[in-house]
Amino acid sequence: MNDREIIVDELKKTYPGNVTAVQGVSFQVEAGKIFGFLGPNGAGKSTTIKILTTLALPTAGKAYVGGFDVVTQATEVRRVAGVALQDIGIDPLMKSMELLILQGRLFGASKQEATARARELLEVVQLSDAEDRRVGTYSGGMRRRLDLAMALVHEPKVLFLDEPTTGLDPVSRRDVWNEVRRLNRELGITIFLTTQYLEEADELADNIAIIVNGKIAKEGTPAKLKASMGEESINLVFATPEMAEKGKTVVESMGNRTQLDRDTVRLYLGKATESIPTVINQLQVAGIAPISLTLTQPTLDDVFLQVTGQRLVASEATNPKSSRPSRRTEGK
Amino acid sequence: METQASKLAIIKPNKRNTLSLPVEVFLLIIRSLTTIMRTPEALLPPVAISIFFLVIYQSTLGKASSFIPGIGGSYLGFILPLSIVSGSLSGSGIAAQNLVRDIERGYFDKLLLTPVRRAALLLAPIMAGAVILGIQSAIVVAVGLLLGLKPATGFPGLLVVIGLGILLGIGFAGFTVSAALGSGSAAATQGASFLFFPLTFLAPTFVPLALLSGWLAVAAKLNPITYVMEAMRSLLNSGWDARAIGISILACLILAVATYALAAFALSVRVRRT
Repeated sequence: MNDREIIVDELKKTYPGNVTAVQGVSFQVEAGKIFGFLGPNGAGKSTTIKILTTLALPTAGKAYVGGFDVVTQATEVRRVAGVALQDIGIDPLMKSMELLILQGRLFGASKQEATARARELLEVVQLSDAEDRRVGTYSGGMRRRLDLAMALVHEPKVLFLDEPTTGLDPVSRRDVWNEVRRLNRELGITIFLTTQYLEEADELADNIAIIVNGKIAKEGTPAKLKASMGEESINLVFATPEMAEKGKTVVESMGNRTQLDRDTVRLYLGKATESIPTVINQLQVAGIAPISLTLTQPTLDDVFLQVTGQRLVASEATNPKSSRPSRRTEGK
Repeated sequence: METQASKLAIIKPNKRNTLSLPVEVFLLIIRSLTTIMRTPEALLPPVAISIFFLVIYQSTLGKASSFIPGIGGSYLGFILPLSIVSGSLSGSGIAAQNLVRDIERGYFDKLLLTPVRRAALLLAPIMAGAVILGIQSAIVVAVGLLLGLKPATGFPGLLVVIGLGILLGIGFAGFTVSAALGSGSAAATQGASFLFFPLTFLAPTFVPLALLSGWLAVAAKLNPITYVMEAMRSLLNSGWDARAIGISILACLILAVATYALAAFALSVRVRRT
């Protein structure tokens, strides 16, 4: 018995017109774990999830879900996998109870089984009060929860969630997170989730892979990824990028390495707190005082910045579905 | 918390329940009808238009009909089939509109992720459309009776008339559904439904077939609607005519074979993984 619920080996996907969405991705997900697939818009997350859930075919490479080949054993994969895609596919004219019962019956449950199951799932996702309302009247968060319930009808071993909280308000987002954790802990469901939110991956995932331009740039546990950054950093914001550049040359020798991001200099060093007075002192001597100084423990955002050279917030700003303001504040 | 987990274990994972195709189709028909009934605003206009034209034609031409040879029986019995046939055409759009709505909303993809047979996804909306079509035709026939229609073959004849209307509608639905599957767009599907509208008039619509001439006579002979109208008229105005009924059923079947071959192709393209 293999304890790898998802095995992806050198998966490639090229769309007509030679657009390569996924270029040779490999990873494995252990049974009972939550795997976070993290990346900006267009990185290849949705393509990967479509291949794994049998909605699309890979151009090359192999993928197995629950031990079944996603290409040749699609029906078997559909039976072991639950899927909640980014675009919620529910008919707004139907009621949640009706949708869940139909879903259960199409998976082969009897009417009684499907009804009982629907009732329980509505309880699990806390929609029992709304079971007789048309789905069209639901809020975004309620729809996500219903979609989650739909994905669980046939008791999948693996659950695929494509950006489960994109476009949700913070409260609904928390609800979905709690639900995901509960499904994983209490039912032992293996969960593969894609997200653009570092916070979400950090919060939920046992393992994370960062995908950029169709390739996995970094993989590991959140703790390991953060530890790979190793050091704390002192972040110095200067009035102009030119000053920042000068500041960088001043402090460079004091840390293990430095990074320049427009008007900000990040100085990575072992004992940041103790070094603050020296850093300020040196800058004063050089005559370039920073306008702010903050201290940062490594976060996944740093990992992401290091791996990709960009922040994730850019993709949120261009995502029309996201009404949230940029979550990341400089020097947090 | 342990209880939650055990409570949920009703359907065993990997349990290989498989439904038969009729059961799958039945479940999806019920679902289609449920949503159709929840948008009555989409159902009323076709019936209203059919009735409107029935009343207009009857009032305009009812008295003039004695000048047209070959009408036989009453003008109402002659013109009622037009109302039913145009209802069949607009009704054939119902199935396609439903399907395209599912495609646009993403519910079609959700259904694709279940083990349901692909054929059921095609047949269910068509059957649901046929049910609606039957109801619409029955309403039009009822209005005809109110206007004084005296069918030559009585109540059983009326059932056959409605049945032929449904059969024709199912035949055309194969085409509109193909458009829905192929385009995935509501506007394109709507357009495809309108394509049939002229067909209603490339037929012995207002005068008997014998009075048509030139290219129109040729077009009418190739048009399945012609045979359905002729059969309906014989039922309403003259009596049982097995040959006319047989030919009309055959015409519908030929139409259906052509349109369903197209629909099956469109479905295979739609569900093909790329």
